[in-house]
Amino acid sequence: MNFFFDVVLNAFIRMLQLFWFGKRRISNSLSIYVKTNEGNTLCVDLDPKWDIKNVKEVVAPRLGILPEDLKVILAGKELHNSTIIEECDLGQQSILHVVRTQPGRNRTRKLNLPQDTIEELASENSDVNESGSKPMNETLTDLPLEEAEESVTTISEQEQEENRAHFYVYCSAPCKSVQPGKLRVRCERCSSGAVTVDRDPQCWPDVLLPQRITVHCENDFCLPPLSVTHTEEIESQILYAKFYFKCANHTSLGETDESVPLYLIKPNLRKVPCLACTDIRDTVLVFPCEAGHVTCLDCFCDYCTARLHDRHFEFDTVHGYYTLPCPTGCPDSYILEVHHFHLLNAHQYEQYQRFGTEEYVLKAGGLLCPQPDCGMGIIPQSPDTDTTDEECRKIQCIGGCGYVFCRRCLQGFHVDDCETQHPVLSSSQNPATGTYAVDPLKAKDAKWDEASKKTIKVSTKPCPKCRTPTERDGGCMHIVCTRAGCGFQWCWVCQTQWTRDCMGNHWFG
Amino acid sequence: MANIAAQRIQREFKEVIKSEEVAKCAIKVELVNDSFTELKGEIAGPPDTPYEGGNFVLEIKVPETYPFNPPKVRFITKIWHPNISSVTGAICLDILKDQWAAAMTLRTVLLSLQALLSAAEPDDPQDAVVAKQYKEQPDMFRQTAKHWTSVYAGGPAKMPELDDKIRRLTDMGVEEHNARVALSSYNWDLERATEQLFS
Ligand SMILES: [Zn+2]
Ligand SMILES: [Zn+2]
Ligand SMILES: [Zn+2]
Ligand SMILES: [Zn+2]
Ligand SMILES: [Zn+2]
Ligand SMILES: [Zn+2]
Ligand SMILES: [Zn+2]
Ligand SMILES: [Zn+2]
Repeated sequence: MNFFFDVVLNAFIRMLQLFWFGKRRISNSLSIYVKTNEGNTLCVDLDPKWDIKNVKEVVAPRLGILPEDLKVILAGKELHNSTIIEECDLGQQSILHVVRTQPGRNRTRKLNLPQDTIEELASENSDVNESGSKPMNETLTDLPLEEAEESVTTISEQEQEENRAHFYVYCSAPCKSVQPGKLRVRCERCSSGAVTVDRDPQCWPDVLLPQRITVHCENDFCLPPLSVTHTEEIESQILYAKFYFKCANHTSLGETDESVPLYLIKPNLRKVPCLACTDIRDTVLVFPCEAGHVTCLDCFCDYCTARLHDRHFEFDTVHGYYTLPCPTGCPDSYILEVHHFHLLNAHQYEQYQRFGTEEYVLKAGGLLCPQPDCGMGIIPQSPDTDTTDEECRKIQCIGGCGYVFCRRCLQGFHVDDCETQHPVLSSSQNPATGTYAVDPLKAKDAKWDEASKKTIKVSTKPCPKCRTPTERDGGCMHIVCTRAGCGFQWCWVCQTQWTRDCMGNHWFG
Repeated sequence: MANIAAQRIQREFKEVIKSEEVAKCAIKVELVNDSFTELKGEIAGPPDTPYEGGNFVLEIKVPETYPFNPPKVRFITKIWHPNISSVTGAICLDILKDQWAAAMTLRTVLLSLQALLSAAEPDDPQDAVVAKQYKEQPDMFRQTAKHWTSVYAGGPAKMPELDDKIRRLTDMGVEEHNARVALSSYNWDLERATEQLFS
């Protein structure tokens, strides 16, 4: 009986397949992977115009089960039969999860069906599997940066359409650029993508922070069997969602192909003008300040470029990121996902990383190799405490150019005392004096200055404290170092700390 | 110049033109070139200050990195003020340096400068000579500032006594502005000014 059943079923399924492929020519086919909770993976060509019901009808025979026994899961949502594939943010080689539900159900009924028209079958089936919903990308609205108060206002379909969430990611490979992104979710415990979320994320913390949203995992082996009702056992039955992002621009390279979400980049739904150029652009960067100041992406790049040029990035004191605040100077507005700086070009990003590394080295009490084309960060083994000890004064640029130099005066290593009386062009404060007095004549001849003359315009001088090239074009001689954490006030003429004397003698040159 | 800077300046320019301060003739701004890289500003001396009745012209240069970096502003009209160089017109004002924020505009800059004329900050970096006078001989400072306003900024004050001292020096062949600077610096002590000029 069972054998006969299978033969009939298979014949039926084959006919169904023939019928399908005869009737529908796949235009624009979308090659995707279908993964089952039983460990099978199928490669299936789909027409973006199909609905999920069609997908089930194509997939089911290949799994030897009936379409209505299938559940299709994408990004934490079971997809409804009426969902059209192109409404889902599926790309080439994306993964759809397929789960068998209550196997064997309705089989007998199916066998009794007349096998004449597919339409009849379809209408017959439509009421069988009506669970599921629209895909997450259709239902999610733009996520606020902070947790918002519950808004009960119902929004119209058009508003829903306009407010639909857009995500941007930095794709490190292969695109190497900022791209639109796709939100995906997996089970935090077993990493299976065959999960359905218990609620949609409402704000960015829901997506970025762990254990905010619970899921139902289809993986049978995910949950330990519920034997005794210990409290821990019950806790262990709770599964959480782990959200991640994929680049929407390139063909998926598999389940581990993830990208970093750039959550400050948003579609400009409220049509806010850029604070810098005042244009109203479609895509903007919203700073994490209370006011939520907005720049267009071009202006954001200009802002970063200007600050990079002055080496004016700052350290966020809480997390230690080398970053920028809102350009209008709002408090607590540091960008904490530094991948946003990937909006800069590759060369600038490299410069950003180099400056960041150098700043870390300096902060950690290290110093930078003074050789013009080197600048390697060096963290000396021992602190420079013993003023007579030559060895702790002697620094070699290991891993860089190999230059051996004096820690105090940053000249080539020498046995005798440094040539200047107050040699301080070193990054670390001299503990003996605690000040930064520089002999102006020596400072002028200092190696850094010599080297910089080749590459940097004459209107640039190094900050006497940290050696950051500083530009002066007009204005007074009172210079405030723009480098993060320095802020040294110095005199352009004397190249020493700004004093009352400077003010009196040559404040304006 | 980057497009952004030009675009933003254009908008700020319009903002100033339409502002109520312009309507009250308190501030003014003009274009120097079509590319919006340089503008000419003008502020009226605030009432109840030695600058009252004068009009002060400013040179405003817009950097390519505007508005992320401040505009470079300088007084073209000569002025006697502790925070402004009597020689070059350079201004040492925090918002034009490290305290600049991208939300500030031409209008806020012009209004801040006007505020600076009302309330000098002699304890902040300053033109030492002027600041000393401002703190030690406030009456002398007011006289001098008023005199400079009337001579260079079209102010109403007539001060025949001071004009007379200047004439004494110009009669000796000293250029008028140099004579004024020397006298202003030495609290209008004709003897010391003469000494300094001919030493
Ligand atoms: Zn990509
Ligand atoms: Zn699981
Ligand atoms: Zn912009
Ligand atoms: Zn802000
Ligand atoms: Zn080196
Ligand atoms: Zn040395
Ligand atoms: Zn510095
Ligand atoms: Zn000096």
